[in-house]
Amino acid sequence: MSATDIPTPQDPADALAAVVALRRLADQLEDAAVEQAMRAEWSWPQVAEALGVTRQAVHRKHAKRLIAAGVKLRRRSP
Amino acid sequence: MNMFDTYLHTIITEGAVEAQRHGSPTVEAQHLLLAVAAQEGTAPQRLLASAGLDHQAVLAALDREFDHSLSAVGVSRASFGLSRSSTPVNRPPTMGATAKLALERGFAAGPRKKDLRPAHVLLGILQAEVGTVPRALALAGVDRTDLLTRVQNAIADDGTE
Repeated sequence: MSATDIPTPQDPADALAAVVALRRLADQLEDAAVEQAMRAEWSWPQVAEALGVTRQAVHRKHAKRLIAAGVKLRRRSP
Repeated sequence: MNMFDTYLHTIITEGAVEAQRHGSPTVEAQHLLLAVAAQEGTAPQRLLASAGLDHQAVLAALDREFDHSLSAVGVSRASFGLSRSSTPVNRPPTMGATAKLALERGFAAGPRKKDLRPAHVLLGILQAEVGTVPRALALAGVDRTDLLTRVQNAIADDGTE
């Protein structure tokens, strides 16, 4: 999708608020997607590569939450 | 700790709980507002309640603002089928820019530190003219300017007692 395909609100306040809301939605999607992948026994490096971040970053961000949720995690490195 | 410090500590602590509950890595002004609305028996909570804003109403207003802002770019939360994360706990949230601004504004409204009252925290939150909180209040039909005046009056009355 090109930038011109995205509806742009006329009011700058609406446009800026949409950015904030989309970031928040993206965070929620990331939490759900990482949990889904780890429950499907993806490895940390696979999840990291799919997200385009380092495995340290994805581990640091999600490991504690997933352990608390009782998700069985694969080892970080083979 | 004096009464104001104790109240402030509670709002920051409970604001962090609200942020974690909503999966936010930072405590923002809306999380402080939720914490203020939850402190039953305090002056700021009563002021919010007088405008129809109990904790549940603030939550509903923020949810509405979220959906409204997404809809402006053609996105609907419902189409993603997101359920609440099983445990929305990452690291303890840090203070975000909007929460810092709200507290700075509230503190600046008190002539001296010893004059600060719990209502100054609410005052600082309500003074934001742009961002999530004023948008949520407007969508909920709350007259923010009128509420702000009532908070200022309550602070003035408290100071003359």
